[in-house]
Amino acid sequence: MAPPTYDDDDFVDQYDDLEEEEELSPEDKIAMQNGTAEVRKALGVEAGKVTVAQIQEALWHYYYDVDKSVAYLTKTFIAPAPKPAAKPAPKKAPEGKPGAFSLPANQALFLRTFGEDDESLGHNAYSTTICDIHRLACAFPSIEKPQLSLTFFDDMPWLDIPRDRETVFIEPPRPRGGLMGGSGAAPKVSKLQALAALRKKKNEEKKAQEKAIPLESEVTKLSISDTNKENIGPISKLKDQSSQHNSTVASTLQAQEGETTSDNTGNSLGEDASLPTITEYKPDADIKFEEAKPVVGHSHAPSAFARTLFGSVPEAGETRRRDVFAMPYTQSSSFLADAFSEPSPDDIVLAARAKAGKKAPAAAAKAPKKSQKSEEASKEASLASSVSSLKVSDAPPPKSKGLDVLKEFEQSASKKNVSFVVVGHVDAGKSTLMGRLLLELKLVEERTVDKYRRQAEKAGKQSFALAWVMDQRSEERDRGVTIDIATNHFETESTKFTILDAPGHRDFVPNMIAGASQADFAILVIDANTGAYEKGLKGQTREHVLLLRSLGVQRLIVAVNKLDMVGWSQDRFKEISEEVSGFLTGLGFQEKFVTFIPISGLNGDNIVKRTEDAAGAWYKGPTLIEGLEASGPSTVRSFKKPFRMAISEIFRSQQGTTTLAGRIDSGTIQVGDALLVQPSGESAYIKSIMLDTEAKDWAVAGQNVSVALTNIDPIHIKIGDIICHTTDPIDIGDTFTMKAMAFEHLLPMPVDLHRGRLHAAGQIQSIAALLDKATGEVIKKKPKVVQPGGVARVLIKLEAKVPLEPGQRVVIRSGGETIAAGLLE
Amino acid sequence: MADRRRVNGPGGSSLPPIYDDGELDAVSRRQRAPDAIRPLYLKTGVTPSASGSAYLEIEPREGEYGSGMKLTCTVHGPRSLPRSAPFSPYMVLSTHVKFAPFATKQRKGYLRDSSEKDLSTHLETALRGALIADRWPKSGVDVVVTIIEGESTRQDAVERRVEEWDVMNVLGGCITVASAAIADAGIDCVDTVSGGVAALVAGKDGDETSIVLDPVALEHESILAACCVAYLPNRDEITNLWFKGRLPSAASYNHQSLVSRAVQASKGTHGLISASLSEVIGNSQN
Repeated sequence: MAPPTYDDDDFVDQYDDLEEEEELSPEDKIAMQNGTAEVRKALGVEAGKVTVAQIQEALWHYYYDVDKSVAYLTKTFIAPAPKPAAKPAPKKAPEGKPGAFSLPANQALFLRTFGEDDESLGHNAYSTTICDIHRLACAFPSIEKPQLSLTFFDDMPWLDIPRDRETVFIEPPRPRGGLMGGSGAAPKVSKLQALAALRKKKNEEKKAQEKAIPLESEVTKLSISDTNKENIGPISKLKDQSSQHNSTVASTLQAQEGETTSDNTGNSLGEDASLPTITEYKPDADIKFEEAKPVVGHSHAPSAFARTLFGSVPEAGETRRRDVFAMPYTQSSSFLADAFSEPSPDDIVLAARAKAGKKAPAAAAKAPKKSQKSEEASKEASLASSVSSLKVSDAPPPKSKGLDVLKEFEQSASKKNVSFVVVGHVDAGKSTLMGRLLLELKLVEERTVDKYRRQAEKAGKQSFALAWVMDQRSEERDRGVTIDIATNHFETESTKFTILDAPGHRDFVPNMIAGASQADFAILVIDANTGAYEKGLKGQTREHVLLLRSLGVQRLIVAVNKLDMVGWSQDRFKEISEEVSGFLTGLGFQEKFVTFIPISGLNGDNIVKRTEDAAGAWYKGPTLIEGLEASGPSTVRSFKKPFRMAISEIFRSQQGTTTLAGRIDSGTIQVGDALLVQPSGESAYIKSIMLDTEAKDWAVAGQNVSVALTNIDPIHIKIGDIICHTTDPIDIGDTFTMKAMAFEHLLPMPVDLHRGRLHAAGQIQSIAALLDKATGEVIKKKPKVVQPGGVARVLIKLEAKVPLEPGQRVVIRSGGETIAAGLLE
Repeated sequence: MADRRRVNGPGGSSLPPIYDDGELDAVSRRQRAPDAIRPLYLKTGVTPSASGSAYLEIEPREGEYGSGMKLTCTVHGPRSLPRSAPFSPYMVLSTHVKFAPFATKQRKGYLRDSSEKDLSTHLETALRGALIADRWPKSGVDVVVTIIEGESTRQDAVERRVEEWDVMNVLGGCITVASAAIADAGIDCVDTVSGGVAALVAGKDGDETSIVLDPVALEHESILAACCVAYLPNRDEITNLWFKGRLPSAASYNHQSLVSRAVQASKGTHGLISASLSEVIGNSQN
């Protein structure tokens, strides 16, 4: 043994070994030689890996035990373990001393009684014996301890413990689990458990086969087997004892046994054996022992309570109960047991639909590839295509018909579609005029107007009855003013009209702007009453006209209203006409596009029918309705431009569709188009288009339509937003340069920008230049202020990004007044 | 304060009155030999939800009320200790002994009273000696013993104030049933601990003293002293010893004799536990 590192102890050991070797006796030498030869033989091929000295050393240490030496050498030199644990014990302990057993006295007695005549019992009996005696007690390993001799562990090698000395661990038999009072049957084993058990068993069998032969040889050769047998002897006796104990044995033996046990008990408890009480009670103890030991048999039958608790369950398990009770209707001849075992037709359709809904696009895309691969795929593709034709209405996106909208529009010999806005100073009679117009055209029933009249009388506003046709809101009716745009439709023989009744009150000018931006032309209503007209001209008549002009409305019908109040005075009409036309031409309206009509909105003169009042007979011109029909759209409709539509109203309807109303500013749309809502940037599909009250597949610029969108959350849409095609989206920005005509003094100041319904707060950043009104040339760079009537190029920065494009007309307001109108550049 | 939340039964079970002239008649006297213990019925694995459980029944005398006993024990665990518990290198054993409210003539409360807590402590001591607690570090085991039917169901048990002696029998039963339940749970033990009771009883005149195993207080004129042991037969060790009463100075008995008799009784009980458990094992092996 040559340890790799030399410390003092190792040196000494080695020295000692050498000394001992020198003293080898002749017998030892012979044994050594034989042993060496045997070991070499046993090692076989591996013998070359160890030296003779190593073999001899091993033999010396193992007292010429060839097997152990071989095992040691194999472990240490041929297939070395990480580190040799320790030296084996140098000397073998003397054979087990007699009386060294730590057995209880009664067992020792049996040892003496029976002697050692039963050594034929094999080692294998060892474990089984114990198990038989203490079948249960095996679960408590410490029980076995006292039955091993003290010398058992002497000369036990550290490594490579002989098989027969290894502890046999017997798995404690687990009490059966299971349900309350379960039957006597073994618990059920799951499939997995069964598999694991089988595998384990196989492995064990394999191992056993491998080891069986060497083990046996080892056991037979074992030199220390004597001590083992001595150990086992008494235990095997114990078995005999127990069997004898159960059977009827000679009474003397029994008496002896009883006595010893009682003695033992007394001693173990430290009782003084000399006390007379013990002798007195000894017979008792004897009887007790004989009776108490087999108390096992005294276990009584369970009480009724316990039987109820535990007994009934297995019984219930055994008796087969009918699981199913037939219902009475099963007796009927028309009863089919499997009528509902298959999915219903509805289920099949639903399943197919669900499948198609999920897979249709993917399957369709992959179809060409897949069809080559498998029939299944092609089946799927065909299914997808067939299902896509019966698409659920709300499945995105709605299919576009791919119409040429312009062609359709030209082919559809429909009437002209014109919208006009009614403007004028507050209380000029705009709403009343429109109410009268609708009434005359039989679009509003007389009965309704009568009802309004009664209600208005009650409210003390008799003259407002007709206005209530247009002003539906309670707030408007209470205040007697129009607040928001009221939209209505009527049609004549040649034209479809959309009325946009604008509010005249100065507080609601933004709403008027919204209305005016949707209009092709305008009706300017002027109160002919003395004072009212003058007031109007200073007030909203003027502002509205300015706004109309700046919003690009060129055609104007001036309805001089309430002429009945001034007795159909021609002079008054003339005066007003001249004054207003002068004002309008000053603003840039062309005279041919301006028509003056004297009317009475309240009475309905010169609206549809000519006045019957003799005083008004001087008027030979057209009635209002004739004037309206004569007025075409003032601007060329921009059909070919990209689609733009300002949202003026939003209706939220059921299941994911959102309906928007507005006038198409430019371009065309059709059902199925993909749209973009700006500034939110959300996309949507057109599900349907409603023109007035009829569904259409398409719509063109100038029409007031309702568009139902799918695939969009209504929170992304708000009034004033612009919708456009995704292919040609409108830009959004917050900084704009514009050519503005000032109505008031313009300074770098906070302003509101209006375009239709869209309005955004912002600021005039700078005024770039003052321009010439006619030519548009720069007069002055960077002016400090723009005078009223002046035209300037200004830079406006808004607080939020809005969808605006160059060429659009906007209105700039500040502090509730219109201060400028402009064109975006 | 009375428990008003539950619908309580009557204060005690109603049994037909027994008119007693104050003297024990021959029938109610002890019929067994002084060293015989009453037959038991023990069954393990009765509660499916518990790790281990056992049911113990001590047979009442035929046609008689009140000398039998029914106990059930559930063992929960070993399971990990709650986070709040401090680290323990050993298995933490906690025992609860509870009389069912209807178990005795004098109705028991829902909360454990002092005598039940006392029994719990005794039981814990008895079991702790048998368990190999260091094999289960950081874990706890709960042993819950419920006495379904106590011995003192008879009215005269209350009148004669023998409950204090019956507690001994109850403890013996608790130890036995808990031991079986722990074995059922598969918790490592050095041995199955078993309980045994012995008592020094006096005769009619108070002079014929004798030691009896497994005493039933009602069957004797008076009990002078009683002893309950928890005993490990394979180790010859006593894990818990409860001695009650006073030995008459003149008597020729000493404490050790009473203890040794109690040990004999527990040996008898142990044989029963072994038989019951091996029966279960036999069933499971078949």
